[in-house]
Amino acid sequence: MYDHQTRSLWSHITGEALQGPLKGKQLTLLSSVPQIAWKTWQQNYPDTQVLSVPTAGGTLEGLSRDTYADYHASQRTGVSGTEYTDNRLPNKSLVIGVQLQAKAGNTQFRAYPITHFTETAVINDTLGDVPLLIFHDKMSFATTVFKRVAEDRSLTFKHETDYFARDNSGTEWNLITGEATSGKYNRTRLERVPAVNIYWFAWARYYPQTTIYGQ
Amino acid sequence: MKNYMPILILLLATISCATAEEQQDYSNDEIRTLLPYDAIPAITDPQFVPASAAKLEADAPVIGVNLNDESHAYSLYLLNGHEIVNDVVGGLNIATTW
Repeated sequence: MYDHQTRSLWSHITGEALQGPLKGKQLTLLSSVPQIAWKTWQQNYPDTQVLSVPTAGGTLEGLSRDTYADYHASQRTGVSGTEYTDNRLPNKSLVIGVQLQAKAGNTQFRAYPITHFTETAVINDTLGDVPLLIFHDKMSFATTVFKRVAEDRSLTFKHETDYFARDNSGTEWNLITGEATSGKYNRTRLERVPAVNIYWFAWARYYPQTTIYGQ
Repeated sequence: MKNYMPILILLLATISCATAEEQQDYSNDEIRTLLPYDAIPAITDPQFVPASAAKLEADAPVIGVNLNDESHAYSLYLLNGHEIVNDVVGGLNIATTW
């Protein structure tokens, strides 16, 4: 990416300026839902505004096909011909990439291969010293990551149905919004954590220090 | 908060390609030029419609952003042609990138 003001070049993976007047500056990473089916997002955020692009014939909010479908189905790794050498996972493995600032100071990186989500949609993990909840729906590719902490207590979650889970206090939680829907912590909201759905080769190239869940 | 640059939301980056750089500016370094600036036009003045008016399939993949109780959705397939949306959500200047 480049910015119009200084024409510095920025990595859209790390958010760091790599060349130009702003070299070394770091954009703040924000939390989002990196992928979700439209109907699921709309159910949970009915007041959402939807990006709409003007065209000659009206406006477009979506397209019916993925212009990169062939790329995703291939073994190609980007368009630059770069070779990738971190063989801990196959290059085109899809992972959920999570990064967190640990209390000790160092940022922690972990990749969660989506193959771990075939049996369950929920993983309870701890990264650095932070208890984490990773949700991934294998059908819709919906991905959300939260700190599994409410009122300073660490909770353990078990998937129920769809995008709902129950913790060890009996509280039921919506894993799209991160809000408790009943029980002891009703209406409490979990803190969302930055996450990306990304190919292993890219994640490992930018963050070679990453650990891999399950390895 | 430093407001002279947008905050970046690092979102789905399953495609590691096609950022726009000009080779003549940085020909001695490791950044390789594949496309000229703006060959993939970023959205700088995004327009929105309410959810009820959005023409999207139920299973269409979107990026969802919810900040300070304001939420925006962006179709991934639409973002294939733009890659960056310069936006304001919940009072924050953000770049949604894909």
